[in-house]
Amino acid sequence: MMEREESNIHNTYNISKKTIVFGVVPIIVIGAMIILLLNSPGILFQSSVKPLPQISIEKVEFSDRGIVAFVRNTGPSDTTIAQADVNDRIHPAAIEPSRILTRMADAKVIIPFVWNIGEPYKIGITTDDGTRFEKTVNSAAPAPRPTVQQASTFAIIGTYVGVIPVMMGLIWYPFIRRLSPNKYNFFLSLTAGLLVFLGIDALLESNEIAVNNLASIFNAQILIIMVAIVTLITLMYVSQRLIQRASKRSNPEVEYKAGYLSHSGSDSELSDIRSSSSSSQQQLLIRPIAISMMIAIGIGLHNFGEGLAIGAAVLLGEVALSSFLILGFTLHNTTEGLAIVAPMAKSRRIPVTKLVIMGLIAGGPTIIGAWIGGFLYSPIATVIFLSIGAGAIFQVVYSIGSWMYHTNGSRGLLNNHWIIIGFAFGMLIMYLTGLLV
Amino acid sequence: MSYPRIVVLFGIATSIVFFAISTMLYSRSSLSDQNSSKLDTVGGHTPGYPILKTTGDILDPTSSVINPKNAVVDPMKYLREFNYGRVSTSSNGTVIRDFTLIASDQQTKEVSPGVFYNVWTYNGTIPGPTIRATEGDLIRVTLINKGTKFHSIHFHGIHPSEMDGVFEGIAPGGRFTYQFTAEPFGVFLYHCHMQPLEEHITHGLYGVYIVDPKQGRPPADEMVMVMNGYDTDFDTENNFYTVNGIPFYYMHHPIQIEKNRLIRIYLVNMLEFDPLNNFHLHANLFNFYKTGTKLIPDEYTDIVTMNQAERGILEFSYKYPGKYMFHAHKTEFAEKGWTGLFLVKDNTTESVNQNLNITSTRNNISYSNSNFNNATNIATTGGFK
Repeated sequence: MMEREESNIHNTYNISKKTIVFGVVPIIVIGAMIILLLNSPGILFQSSVKPLPQISIEKVEFSDRGIVAFVRNTGPSDTTIAQADVNDRIHPAAIEPSRILTRMADAKVIIPFVWNIGEPYKIGITTDDGTRFEKTVNSAAPAPRPTVQQASTFAIIGTYVGVIPVMMGLIWYPFIRRLSPNKYNFFLSLTAGLLVFLGIDALLESNEIAVNNLASIFNAQILIIMVAIVTLITLMYVSQRLIQRASKRSNPEVEYKAGYLSHSGSDSELSDIRSSSSSSQQQLLIRPIAISMMIAIGIGLHNFGEGLAIGAAVLLGEVALSSFLILGFTLHNTTEGLAIVAPMAKSRRIPVTKLVIMGLIAGGPTIIGAWIGGFLYSPIATVIFLSIGAGAIFQVVYSIGSWMYHTNGSRGLLNNHWIIIGFAFGMLIMYLTGLLV
Repeated sequence: MSYPRIVVLFGIATSIVFFAISTMLYSRSSLSDQNSSKLDTVGGHTPGYPILKTTGDILDPTSSVINPKNAVVDPMKYLREFNYGRVSTSSNGTVIRDFTLIASDQQTKEVSPGVFYNVWTYNGTIPGPTIRATEGDLIRVTLINKGTKFHSIHFHGIHPSEMDGVFEGIAPGGRFTYQFTAEPFGVFLYHCHMQPLEEHITHGLYGVYIVDPKQGRPPADEMVMVMNGYDTDFDTENNFYTVNGIPFYYMHHPIQIEKNRLIRIYLVNMLEFDPLNNFHLHANLFNFYKTGTKLIPDEYTDIVTMNQAERGILEFSYKYPGKYMFHAHKTEFAEKGWTGLFLVKDNTTESVNQNLNITSTRNNISYSNSNFNNATNIATTGGFK
């Protein structure tokens, strides 16, 4: 009896030759259909209408030798570029490597032109059927060249915008440590509020780039949601695994107790736990540090995207980076440091080096982002990185939420007005400092 | 403490991976990577502009030549080609001039270097052939419609209602002979008057119709110039502006004229969408005869501005040899193709014909314009086949 059942089960999972046939036949049929469609376009679907060409001007650069437009054929068929213009006035130009663009192929259109700094320009490309495609540049600025000087300028901007603010936020660590549970909850939910704002901001910004700079053929808006969701669930899996592995090493009872105490606890109770055993101390530390680290990574990804945006804005001539703008980013990003330290506040004292590392993970990518965005801008990559940042941030919000839920015991999350106020306040801070940018 | 370290390592590893991926994604080269193996240069038409060497293709309508096989017209041939029809005389001594125009609307031709457009034409060119007669002649124009839509010919000038080409369209495959007396003298135009009117005109169904005064005009090097435009992307704005059908054509094929010789231009504005157009002559002034209906000039000027379908006659001669520009002083039109050059030669003894074998250095397509009609040779005859 048992054996038969086992063999039945075995059969269900064992793939016989017959099953293979059933698996392969649909693929063969689809393949045959594709071959048929591609080889006999006139027989099945006859159309006298030539498909309209679609050219995307992805990037425009300005230099002392003229204007360079990076174009891509995002239409359904091969296209030939006929002419180029600046502000709707035809100008002689060169196109490299070739004026004939196969599907998805790209080319560089170089227009010798004496342009004026700070003026808006419309760059137009006309295809062989006379259709004109246009890209507007709001303010012409020389394209940043990858020189040491320009690289260090971007590094300084990145440090101002990313590293210093995060580090400043970290200094709040001792202050948060001494807060009462309600105020601590307030700051934790404030962190969540900050992060939700950043996540939405990243999604909106990537959407804007997707709409303005990317051809519809890339389906970039769906890509944003896809990348954000995949990042979210992947990071959830990673953090779950980290916490699981940490829990295996310690006594679950202590963890619960520690969790409970850290919620209700005064400093004296906490210090009791601390002195009780080294393993419980470690246990107490692991989860908050893991959360803080995830926050640091999430914010790092966000700041990478922010760096890309800053570098690209300089490259595309969309902003002249003024000291006021940098000040705005700095204030805006100071709150990110607060987000990192808040979950760790009730743990054992964290070594300064650890804090600095977290600060670098969170802030450093701004510099790298500014380099890449400034020297090698690509809208599709910017969209992907911003979406990854958004997914990472929402994972962090989830972690903070579940951490607060556990430490709050039976009271729940939405039953505590400090949490609600903190959350709202966090978003408000971001909104107000965001007005400066 | 080992777990945080793992997380730190994870963070660093992801950063490295992201950096690598992004560097790969951004592998686009930028301005600096010019290949040294030069093939072609672009730019430098305007003093102070950068000259660029490129290994790629050139997009330069100001100097590139359209393959005559695809071109919507040969502007150099069109310039001095006047058609006087198949001439016969009636019993009462009236000169009869028979013309045949074939309308078509299915061809796609190159209207600007690299740009192909569905042209609607009389006899296959934009503008259509120039019809010329003397005041009092009987004109008979047979329209054969080889297109897919109704077409007609509406002549400007004086004629009976049923010859006006407005209410009776010629069906595809049909034909009709318009018959009227050439009056008064002046420079006129003809065009299709089917609805939608703007569509039929802007696609190219128009041409010039000249009536000479009985006593004639003083001998001159005569030419016809039609100012037009093409809306190739159908947004009711012209993408290209031309004189005689192809943008910038007379920039790389200057019109050769002789010093001190009287030049007479029959100028017609066939531009759609834009309410006005103009003609500006460099380093010179001209006598302007509005609509050409008087023998006394209306104005001595260097610019004339015309509304849609307005026209006139320009007379001038150049005092000094050299290259002189003429263009729309609505500079947008000039920069989109309505620009040309006169090349004034000093060799008064040599025939103009022999100077017109111009070879394009870029594309090695040479043009021979031996078959244009010298305007002084008024006796030239021949109809359209």
